[in-house]
Amino acid sequence: MAAAEPPSSVRKVVVHLRATGDAPILKQAKFKIPGTDKFAKVIDFLRRQLHRDTLFVYVNSAFSPNPDELVIDLYNNFGFDGKLVVNYACSMAWG
Amino acid sequence: MDVLHWDGTLSAKDFRVGAFAFAQKWESLNSGFPLWVWVLSPKHPWLASPEEEGYLSLEKICLSRPNEEEIDQISQIDTEEEGTNCAGNEDVIDDATLVQSNHHELHYYDFHIVYSSTFRVPVLYFRSYCSDGSPLLLNEIEKELPACSSKELSKSKWIFISQEEHPYLKRPWYKLHPCGTAEWIKLLFLSDTARPKFEVVLELYLLSWFSVVGQMFGLKIPFKISN
Repeated sequence: MAAAEPPSSVRKVVVHLRATGDAPILKQAKFKIPGTDKFAKVIDFLRRQLHRDTLFVYVNSAFSPNPDELVIDLYNNFGFDGKLVVNYACSMAWG
Repeated sequence: MDVLHWDGTLSAKDFRVGAFAFAQKWESLNSGFPLWVWVLSPKHPWLASPEEEGYLSLEKICLSRPNEEEIDQISQIDTEEEGTNCAGNEDVIDDATLVQSNHHELHYYDFHIVYSSTFRVPVLYFRSYCSDGSPLLLNEIEKELPACSSKELSKSKWIFISQEEHPYLKRPWYKLHPCGTAEWIKLLFLSDTARPKFEVVLELYLLSWFSVVGQMFGLKIPFKISN
């Protein structure tokens, strides 16, 4: 990591995707995403990787973020150790 | 009780405690938000010492979707005040946003959080209506929901939304099926690396529950509520 803080508009957030329940584990489970991107991008990425439309996605502190929250906001609130852990499960939320 | 061995459900008493905690946290957020109100409705008032039964109510919420603005506030329509603040959400990818047949017609939503003694979890009941009181059908409600919700709905609506008699008001309302709730609530709380005690879980239960359920309608909870 460079010592100088990059301008916030290009600051990237490290995201770790964590499989829970009976969800398959991704080969590529860590990546960086611009903080200004919406959480929806993470959800869409997961959907494409897992070929599933219905996913249950949540962060620590027992919270499921709204898709249009900014990743940087999520990192600031729920991130630790320099990363944002995003849990996912394939169980149906409804029913 | 250890969260690891918990089954994700609540007793009726726990639900009351959790409901009050949720309503309080919600209120402490921002005075611009409408408040959840506990409606006391003893089911058997003729009994000598009726249990304090009731449900949480949030009513007259407007979900009309603005075209381009991102509005992240929910506020209630107050007929005495001027101006309408409408809850909305900006869909990330949604071609239909700009096309609204009833652009000027405001639709109101009532949300009730009711305890289910069968499933031992909270259940969301909701209904929608126009300003003249005429009810909206589910397929009309669908058009106003965030894109990902309406997609899920169009695929499998009868799997998780049904029209049922409101357990207290005895009128037809829509409800989100609760049978998966205990499972995903457990997942949510197991993600918390702090492994909280049950008292803490109880305080946060409805908040966490609503962070999932509210998304169906594009309702956002600000994060600071969970700190």
